[in-house]
Amino acid sequence: MVTKRSVSLVDEVAAAVEAAAKEDGVSFSAWLSSAAERQLRVRQGLRGVAAWEGEAGSLTAEEIAAGEALLGRLLSGVSGMASRVRRRQ
Amino acid sequence: MSTRDGVVYGVGALRAAARGDRVMWAVHRAALAHGIVPVVSVAAVAEAFRTEARGDRLEALLAGVEVEALTEEGARRAGELAARADTTDLVAAATADTAVRRNAAVVSTRQNALRTAASLLGHDLVLYAV
Repeated sequence: MVTKRSVSLVDEVAAAVEAAAKEDGVSFSAWLSSAAERQLRVRQGLRGVAAWEGEAGSLTAEEIAAGEALLGRLLSGVSGMASRVRRRQ
Repeated sequence: MSTRDGVVYGVGALRAAARGDRVMWAVHRAALAHGIVPVVSVAAVAEAFRTEARGDRLEALLAGVEVEALTEEGARRAGELAARADTTDLVAAATADTAVRRNAAVVSTRQNALRTAASLLGHDLVLYAV
């Protein structure tokens, strides 16, 4: 099922989307739809994190920083292991 | 050492989230905050729901995850990979296959099956063991 919408994009954005869609071998609409889907997933995911925090307590600034650092290491290609000391149920 | 484009969760990551592992949730939050949607194989989801009581926490995590469906082709790949890795752990094989295809780092428990399967695919597994 597909819904048609008329959307307006800034010229530079439209050109960049056009180029990206061509590079990925998909249509302009499919690329935009995929980008929107991803953005919605991020939004729903952050709500999921907030729901968990509502039950378990908010992540502290230190924990957030540790998560950021860990993600950075993983994307840089560095493996690691959880410290049992930091784990809490 | 080569960079990775994303993150794949194995069943260990889902179990950690279900058990309230704060590091796991912090990594998940970081990924989303950077616009990265972690990927998980549908086989890992099934296994997590089989073993974990906290379905609500799994649901909260999965809200921000792309669940990769298992196609016939994917099922065949995972089965053949498990055979080559000499393991019955189809979830680990499916997770490794997903990580290799997407050039992603893996968050899961430390498993030989996972590392062996990735190695058989010519991929140096980047793993954060929860």
